[in-house]
Amino acid sequence: MTIRRRLIPYWLLAPGALWLLLFFVIPMGFMAQQALESGSLLTGGFTFTWEWSNFPDSLSGNSEQIVRSFYYAGAATILALLISYPLAYAIAQQSSRWRLLLLFAVIAPFFTTYLIRTIAWKTILADQSPVIDVLQYVHLLPDDGRVLATSGAVIAGLTYNFLPFMILPIYASIERLDLRLIEAARDLYASSTQAFLRVTLPMTAPGIVAGVLLTFIPAFGDYVNATILGGTHQNMIGNKIQSLFLVERDYPEAAALSFLMMALILAVVVVYIRLAGTEAFMGEEEKRA
Amino acid sequence: MTTSQRLRILVATALTLAAAVLVAACGGDSGNGGGEVQVAQGGKPSGEVTISNWPGYIDPGKDGTAAEFEKTYGVDTTYIEDVTGNTQFFGKLQPQLERGDSGGRSLFVVTNWLAKQMYDLGYLEQIDHADLKTVFQNINPQFVDDETDPGRKFSIPWQGGLTGIWVNTSEAPEIRSLKDLFDPKYKGRITVLDEMRDTVPLIMQMQGADPQNFTTEDWEKAIDFLKQQADSGQIRRFTDNSYTEDLTSGNAIASIGWSGDASLIGRDDVEWRKPTDGCDTFFDQMVIPVGAPNTAAALAFMNFVYRPEVQADIAAYVNYVTPVDGVKEILAKKDPELANDPLIFPPPSFTRGCSEDPNPPGDAEEQQKITEQFQDVVTG
Repeated sequence: MTIRRRLIPYWLLAPGALWLLLFFVIPMGFMAQQALESGSLLTGGFTFTWEWSNFPDSLSGNSEQIVRSFYYAGAATILALLISYPLAYAIAQQSSRWRLLLLFAVIAPFFTTYLIRTIAWKTILADQSPVIDVLQYVHLLPDDGRVLATSGAVIAGLTYNFLPFMILPIYASIERLDLRLIEAARDLYASSTQAFLRVTLPMTAPGIVAGVLLTFIPAFGDYVNATILGGTHQNMIGNKIQSLFLVERDYPEAAALSFLMMALILAVVVVYIRLAGTEAFMGEEEKRA
Repeated sequence: MTTSQRLRILVATALTLAAAVLVAACGGDSGNGGGEVQVAQGGKPSGEVTISNWPGYIDPGKDGTAAEFEKTYGVDTTYIEDVTGNTQFFGKLQPQLERGDSGGRSLFVVTNWLAKQMYDLGYLEQIDHADLKTVFQNINPQFVDDETDPGRKFSIPWQGGLTGIWVNTSEAPEIRSLKDLFDPKYKGRITVLDEMRDTVPLIMQMQGADPQNFTTEDWEKAIDFLKQQADSGQIRRFTDNSYTEDLTSGNAIASIGWSGDASLIGRDDVEWRKPTDGCDTFFDQMVIPVGAPNTAAALAFMNFVYRPEVQADIAAYVNYVTPVDGVKEILAKKDPELANDPLIFPPPSFTRGCSEDPNPPGDAEEQQKITEQFQDVVTG
């Protein structure tokens, strides 16, 4: 009986573990193997030769795209945070009926696929579209200016596409916020800024941390926005990996580059969580446990 | 974190890595080619067939050619337009073809240089001329032999055309040459193809290289030029077939593009021009991939589109160069203007001296180097 009981958590873990094994560990194994191959498709195929030089090779010459990916994903994350926090806060203040409706409005665009929505932006922002005419009229854009095929377009696309991933976790943490704590802070003579900085913000930090991770990580690897909304010199590292896999057909280098990017993101995330503190990431429950 | 927790994480990580390596070791290495070359099986067509082609290369509508094939042969036909670029299409399909799996496709259309590359890798089935009577009855003699497929062992011409420039005549009527494209006053408003074998030969000719004999230096010089033009912002985008969208919406006022894409652009004020300082021709080929289901239907499709009256419909719809004899006469009755269109029936003088979607010189390794240089510019 006791043994069986002890086994229960493992049984509960089994579906998730199996999923990870099938769709993460095994593909990673294949990719690890591929990253250490040498040769080329047209000269007899690839052979496994422990070709470690694929790793440094894949980095050289691609640093520009890597830096650009950090810049675009970082900018998109900050923009998304600046938009999401007030929005999530405002939604959380509504009556429950309005809340539901507004949350629905946040999620509704997701009923259309990501690709179609991005292509739609291409139409909306076309050089001769009314939107651009207005922007030029109010001098937000020079007369011969454009939005498409610029860095701004790619960052805006990333921000738009990943916004709900920022809003929802922040909303969840704001909604749980006990408003009496803010009242208490005010009673103790905190100004509203102080109350926000010392009560609201720390209490909602887990939502912010989760939102930042959920936005930054996929945005960093994205290549759709750069392909559709960008032009020359707006390619991200995802575009480079795609080119290596599909056009240059240099699978080993593509696999090596993918691995390095994963490691890089992992390192960034670990540092970030360290800086933000594990409590911020896991919430209070962690401390109690 | 306690020591035991740390230990547990360490053990878990080690186990995961060990599992990954084990799996990889079992995977074996990726060999080359699909083994022996198969000959596509002929016979009476029936059942279902899936055909992949480039966008705008047939009338896919209810009364179009694909539907007509379905009606004529009673074959349930799925016609998909998912070939938007040679390299990307091949890149996507290559791992499947390597396993002898065509992804359900019985036939697809790629440019001749890629057809040859695929055949050399063992990814295509051979075709028996006995199954293709209509094709060889009607094929224009100049297409019976092709440099990339002497004797037509594995490919049958679909349509061909020229790579040149599409020009928005209301905004930039004066663009007539490749050099004009790079006039700084069109900065950010021109696009070029991301197909290396189309774009680079044109630039090389603009720079004065001999189209019949491009050297490695010519390729590198042209790629350098493209890099400068990308760096300066002159080139807005490197595009696949989607350059047509940029012309339609007016984002681009001139693009390097293919001569028969008028139906995709759909604007009367955008016209194709053969540049005064260079031209490139290509011919796309129907091929049957390894592992193709229902090859009988694929062969029937080849025969079907080589019926002159069917080909006349295709030619009238897509406005590319047709490889079938007798089409001009049919079109002359229906639409004399089309019959005299040099883009559909180019007189030899029209394409004389053009490059023909050439491979870079040298062996596979040298070609790969040029490809990488070009891709570095495209994904810069």
